[in-house]
Amino acid sequence: MNCIITVELGTYGVKVFVYSLDGQVIGSMKGHYPTFHTQPDYSEQDPEQIFITTLYVLKNVLNEYIHPKKHTVASICFCGSMHSVLAVDIKGNPLGNAITWADNRAKKEAQQLRDSPLGKKLYGETGTPIHPMSPLVKIAWLRDHDRERFASTSKFLSIKSYIIHQLTGEYMIDYSIASATGLLNIHTVNWEDDALQYAGITADKLAVVAPISSTAGNLKKAYQQSLRLPADTKILIGSSDGCLATLGDGIIKGEGKASITIEDSGAVRVMGTSVLQDEQMRFFNYLLADNYYISGGPTNNGGNIFEWFTRQFGDFIHQFDMEDSMGQLLEDATNVPTGSDGLLFMPYLLGERAPIWNANAKGAYFGINIKHERKHFIRATIEGILYEIYSIGKTLEEQRPITSLSVNGSFGTIPFCSQLIADIFNKPVQVRPQLHSVSFGAYILSATEMGVYQSLDDTAVKPAEPLHVFTPNEQHHQIYADYFRIFERLSDKLADEFEAISNLQQKYAHSDKSLTHDKP
Amino acid sequence: MNQFVLNHGRSPELALFPHILELGMKKNGSIQPNSFPATVAEGLRIYHILEGRFEWYINHQPHVFYPGDVALIMPDIPLSSDNSVLTIGSFIWIQLAVQKLDTGHILPDKWSRLSDSEAAAISKILFVNNLPALSRFNEVCSIIKCIYTELFEMQVAYQTRVNHHIDELLIQVSRKITRQTHSTRDFPQAFTNLEMALRQDLAHQWTVEEMAGLVGMGTTLFTEKVKNFTGFSPINYLINIRISEAIRLLKRADISVTDIALDIGFYSSQHFSTTFKKLTGYRPSEFRKNHLRNI
Repeated sequence: MNCIITVELGTYGVKVFVYSLDGQVIGSMKGHYPTFHTQPDYSEQDPEQIFITTLYVLKNVLNEYIHPKKHTVASICFCGSMHSVLAVDIKGNPLGNAITWADNRAKKEAQQLRDSPLGKKLYGETGTPIHPMSPLVKIAWLRDHDRERFASTSKFLSIKSYIIHQLTGEYMIDYSIASATGLLNIHTVNWEDDALQYAGITADKLAVVAPISSTAGNLKKAYQQSLRLPADTKILIGSSDGCLATLGDGIIKGEGKASITIEDSGAVRVMGTSVLQDEQMRFFNYLLADNYYISGGPTNNGGNIFEWFTRQFGDFIHQFDMEDSMGQLLEDATNVPTGSDGLLFMPYLLGERAPIWNANAKGAYFGINIKHERKHFIRATIEGILYEIYSIGKTLEEQRPITSLSVNGSFGTIPFCSQLIADIFNKPVQVRPQLHSVSFGAYILSATEMGVYQSLDDTAVKPAEPLHVFTPNEQHHQIYADYFRIFERLSDKLADEFEAISNLQQKYAHSDKSLTHDKP
Repeated sequence: MNQFVLNHGRSPELALFPHILELGMKKNGSIQPNSFPATVAEGLRIYHILEGRFEWYINHQPHVFYPGDVALIMPDIPLSSDNSVLTIGSFIWIQLAVQKLDTGHILPDKWSRLSDSEAAAISKILFVNNLPALSRFNEVCSIIKCIYTELFEMQVAYQTRVNHHIDELLIQVSRKITRQTHSTRDFPQAFTNLEMALRQDLAHQWTVEEMAGLVGMGTTLFTEKVKNFTGFSPINYLINIRISEAIRLLKRADISVTDIALDIGFYSSQHFSTTFKKLTGYRPSEFRKNHLRNI
């Protein structure tokens, strides 16, 4: 039997899936690798460990699910997180660790560029918001603050490009990861001169931009032997996690569908045949394939905020670990009326990207009265996270109407949360239970490439998967709409106070910086 | 219990226990100049506060202790207080002689009935965490009191009982350290700390027992949690870190393959070579040659 392997290089580790040609999961394995926070705002990963872990897991998957059954691997398709930067020398050796999307060291550079006319121009050309996440400003940061590394760099790669180069010797980057660098002209699909100039590099310092369905040469001999794969095994360069999750959710065809991902952080994405231009530079636009643009807004505050709440206020005396505690809290939340009796929560514990793009934003509970109990705070916290998702969706809708929603990601697909999303948006919500949207997107991509589907358009309806549909409750929606108006006004009105408290927090910051760490 | 101090070499009660350097209880009712001069001792000191509030400097870092708290001072680490004055209050303490290894680890000596691997795990926990202040830890007080009673009553088999209590003390202290450092509610954070400890000492022959001890779990639960979280068994995860470090080192021309193997914790270059090849497809020397020539 022919099989498709997908390799997802995520923030916390690698996930490898084996699919049959018709989209059934035959097996999967994962491997964890760490993120290092050597300084506040820094977020790095070890490329060698990512590579070894990937090889290890890939090998175990082959030995477990492929070789004993004499299956044939038709293709191996890669997906990766966006916005990572890894500098390598002329021999492809990493110069230090990879800088991940979560790294904020280029905060100042980003702010300056964002406020300048050049920033506006670059946003128009690249479709990528100017933000410290963006490799564009990360490279500029390296140029100014790490001159030695910058001078010895032969290529600035994404983690995915590095792994593919290790396996095949080719330097390639797919459309979507390239467009997420902030260096690619999204209209011409070439590296953008203005951006290159700003970053202080030439196009040969970057990998070759290629469509998602491109193959990246043959596996090196040693890997052919150790993985026991034939030389002609197709290595597909694939795409980014965000784009593939959207593809995997089946929303590619037809306007009006949006996909909501809520993991630790979250995003609302829409699919279209054109770029969303926004005066306030609130949306990203990533190119999945020719004429397929995935646009949307990312939030910093998703499931990680609920996890924070659980860690602080969960019951760890009777519940042994995180998952159990979360489950208990969720159950308590169901015993609180819609709208938490008027308790509102602003989830900006990690600052915020879309739609307010305010790194100084902070969390707040608002409207507390004497009758509010612990359980109200639980529900308000969840509602606040979802109001924030809604505020992204609402801003997106100003440019592109949304009629139905698909939800994926571990937090969003908790039935209680999916129902809340339906109620808050007043739109039906579809969830494919058990679906790993990112890997499934990579499967769809590979299968289309192999002719199982005629085109990406064709994949929206196949393969048939059982759907859970959550129907909005009109009455609940009314309540949420009322409270949301206050939520929105608060985000706006508190902007000055956010800045003031942020300054004070910095001024009186505890001197021991080692205590500040975000989650690995 | 009245004030007392037993010293090895001077107090006949300690004749059979060369490893107990000091055992005492102090009740301080008045503030006197120079009542708490700065000291550095060769043994491991464990103080349990009974009354009062003490602000002590351990290795020049300030710590505040309240009743129920324990101060844990490793060998050769200075202990002092402001103006060398002892504030009002009382505490009980023991000082134990331990073996000091070149690596900085300390091990109990022959008197201990801890198995080699258990003693190694405990010494690793003490070394890696270096936690001088343990809060609300009354078990220490009861154990020291038991030792005191045994020493003064000298009932049958008291020598065994005393040594038994000292082992118990070391076990309780190391468990308390891991409980205080890591909370089960945050396994990812505990795992990150463990990972840092592993990387800092790759040459060490880590056992699952030691790793589990460092995050404060039993080996069964630990193995299950690591598998769930990382996809690997603890030992395989360690091998992953070792091989990624090897790849980095192999790209440098100034270190021999044998040295790399030993540096990252393989007991022979043969063992390293086999593992490396199994994982990467290359023999280390081949990887190095290939790498320098082609890429």
